[in-house]
Amino acid sequence: MRFFYAFFKKTYLTVMKMKNWSPAALLGLILLITIVMITAIGPFFLPNNPYMVNMAERLSSPSLTYPFGTDHMGRCIFSRIVIGSQATLGITVLVITTVILIGIPIGLVSGYIGGRLDSIVMRMADGLIALPEFILAIAIAGFLGPSLTNLMISVVLVKWISYTRVVRGIVLSEREKEYVLAARVGGCPTWKIITRHLLPQIISPVLVLATLDVGKVILIISSLSFLGLGAQPPAPEWGAMLSDGRPYFQTIPELMIYPGMAIIIVVLSCNLIGESLRDKLDSKSI
Amino acid sequence: MTTLVDFSRKPTNEPVKGEFLLQSLPLLEIKNLSISSFGTKKKEDIKLVKNINLSIKPGEMLGLVGESGSGKSLTACALLGLLPKSLKVTEGQIKFHGRELINLSEKDMRRLRGNEIAYIFQNYQGSFTPFIKIGKQLIEALRSHQKISKQDAKKKALLWLERVKLPANQVFSSYPHQLSGGQLQRAALAAALMFQPLLIVADEPTTALDVLTSETILDLLVDLQKEYNCAVLLISHNLNHVLKRTDSIAVMYGGQIVEKGLTNEIRKNPFHPYTKLLLQARPVLSRVVPEKLVVIPGEPGLVAKEGCAFAHRCPKSFIKCSILPKMKSVGDSHWIACHAKDSEADDTNASSKKCF
Amino acid sequence: MLQVKNVSKSYRLTPVLNEITFQMQQGESLGLIGESGSGKSTMAKLIVGLEHADGGQITLNDVDFQELRGAELRKARRHVQVVFQDPLASLNPKLPVWKSIIEPLENYPDVVPSFLKEVRNDRKKMAGILLEKVGLDRNLLERYPHQLSGGQRQRVGIARGISLQPNLLICDEPTSSLDVSIQAQILNLLKELKKEFNMSYLFISHDMASVQYMCDRIAVFKQGVLVDLFLSKDLFSDTRHPYTKTLVEVTVES
Repeated sequence: MRFFYAFFKKTYLTVMKMKNWSPAALLGLILLITIVMITAIGPFFLPNNPYMVNMAERLSSPSLTYPFGTDHMGRCIFSRIVIGSQATLGITVLVITTVILIGIPIGLVSGYIGGRLDSIVMRMADGLIALPEFILAIAIAGFLGPSLTNLMISVVLVKWISYTRVVRGIVLSEREKEYVLAARVGGCPTWKIITRHLLPQIISPVLVLATLDVGKVILIISSLSFLGLGAQPPAPEWGAMLSDGRPYFQTIPELMIYPGMAIIIVVLSCNLIGESLRDKLDSKSI
Repeated sequence: MTTLVDFSRKPTNEPVKGEFLLQSLPLLEIKNLSISSFGTKKKEDIKLVKNINLSIKPGEMLGLVGESGSGKSLTACALLGLLPKSLKVTEGQIKFHGRELINLSEKDMRRLRGNEIAYIFQNYQGSFTPFIKIGKQLIEALRSHQKISKQDAKKKALLWLERVKLPANQVFSSYPHQLSGGQLQRAALAAALMFQPLLIVADEPTTALDVLTSETILDLLVDLQKEYNCAVLLISHNLNHVLKRTDSIAVMYGGQIVEKGLTNEIRKNPFHPYTKLLLQARPVLSRVVPEKLVVIPGEPGLVAKEGCAFAHRCPKSFIKCSILPKMKSVGDSHWIACHAKDSEADDTNASSKKCF
Repeated sequence: MLQVKNVSKSYRLTPVLNEITFQMQQGESLGLIGESGSGKSTMAKLIVGLEHADGGQITLNDVDFQELRGAELRKARRHVQVVFQDPLASLNPKLPVWKSIIEPLENYPDVVPSFLKEVRNDRKKMAGILLEKVGLDRNLLERYPHQLSGGQRQRVGIARGISLQPNLLICDEPTSSLDVSIQAQILNLLKELKKEFNMSYLFISHDMASVQYMCDRIAVFKQGVLVDLFLSKDLFSDTRHPYTKTLVEVTVES
């Protein structure tokens, strides 16, 4: 009982604090929470087995048994979207976490210490930025071969550099500030200046960058899956589902509309939250 | 050909300064001005400037002194019509040259600004657009306010750059970033003066500059002000500058004017405890260095909500200070708002009565 | 105690300091006065070892900072501390003030200042004592810099500066970003602390009046050159450098 009370109180307080959130951000937040809830508990309440092929019922229109209808193999689209959210969101979260874990330390060190590491990082950044993110991701994923792991590796390789660049930029401007000088005068060793004084300064900009990136990462993952470079059949992934529905777009557009809508909603909600976080945390550098 | 410098405003035979101040009608009159900030719900939040009265006569240099948060810059912004959106004038009048400035339309205000009221800000980098040459900016400013040909505008701009003691031709064809802070502030002064305004509002014009540079610039301002007989509202937190150059002073604390009057008078006989302490609590170059400086207790943010704003920091405060003191005359052109003075007067009255 | 000998420094071919030489005794306070760009702040950075000189020698207690790097330099720095110009910029906005104050004490665990002997292991108590030394209340310990007023912040900066009980405290324009009514408080506090701990001050300022109030001797910098060095009481002497005379002239009230 007490646990529930605490939980509701917390939620209530959070909602109350949201008073000064913009309506758009609130909408995004509600959408995202709903989606996360569906991802977490949805699989226990599926109307049908998402993997079960039922050729007799293929391409059927929405009904009570199949809320969104069935696909070209007679599988329940609704169930597949719910299960697919795990793959899409899971990969995205994993990718973003990895990117942050790689990007921040490199950015911190290269910004604060500079020297050869910094010039190597910056040359790499220049090279990576010269190529469009998406093309590069396709190239890497194609080179590594189609699989979910390779898909993640390719996205991480493409993405980390933008985090490093942001972190490095902030560190470069912060390290000349008086409080860092003061810390040096006060005898702080380099590692302590980095972890104690510089790290907290970059958390909020990175948070903003990450929320804004969720949308982009989902799009890249879905696009790569759509191209057949990501999730392999029969694994339900939104991008792959789009790809599956493509031949029937003229006749049964729902096959693509439902997973497409799912992607749009997630991307939209993340962007709404990210934008308002950016305004709130005042990180105009991104 | 149009005359480049309009000398018609210069009085033919300049009277003695003091006499002159007593004679003429005020050029700018601020009456009962209050400014408040408004929160998100259009509710009046904090009263930042409280019922202040000020007047500047033609050709007078008035110094407005106060710490951060005293409302001195807000007053200037209000009279220029440049208050930020969240702040509003809730009460009072600002009369300039017979015209009411509050509620003046943005268009009229814009015509007035620059032309009749010029302003110089602390941030000299902000006075000029960074990517356009100084000369071009001066010409554009001239042509936007006056009907004047390009050649004449150029001549006028060059002349004024010379008047502020800059290498005119060189500065004319420079970009702002090529000039030093002092040079830029001089150029800003030229830009302000070339319209021969009736009033110049100088908001901390030299705070960002070096000691020697600011001295020369303020001296220049005084010289040109005398020459063209325009009034100046000099806003500063630097008492030295203000004491040295102005004709009269108004001291602000926490949105109220606590003392105002002729500069010499205030320097010699400051009455308000705040003014007194301000004058004492700063290191002054002297042959005998004091062991300790007199200290004003508390912080500038400490403003009493009711009554005299300085009450919480005032060593002389007593019960009566929770009532807002009224401005009272304490001598020739010298007013203060303080209860302590009354009670002192009462005391002396009482004691003098006893004597008789 | 401090010896500066023929120190020169330039940034990208622009000379900032030119053959500067002066000395300081323990307990003495020396004022550095000059316009911006005169090299007085660079001088301070060189003395703390935040930057290295192009030529010359700076020794503090016979240790040459120019030759030290890394851990050695850090060790030597405990004898020099700095009070910065802008107290808001010099305190980490994300740390409560007590953490900022005792950070130097954390970095030098073997330094035991005399006034913190009894509580050297209790970080909060140390911060509390330091706060009281600079005239602030203990209940400000948990505050963040943005919750304090300008004067309080500068007091926090001073508390950090004295926490290691350094031989030399460099005050880099400690009052120039403060309001007039606070200036006197801070100057008085610095003067009292100097007496209490027998520290030396290198007091950097552009205001002749506060330098005269604070210092025993005054060094005048002009465009990277030390043009005048004299006892404060000789400020009005006729033998002063013309530049010093102009500086005095503009500061003296008519």
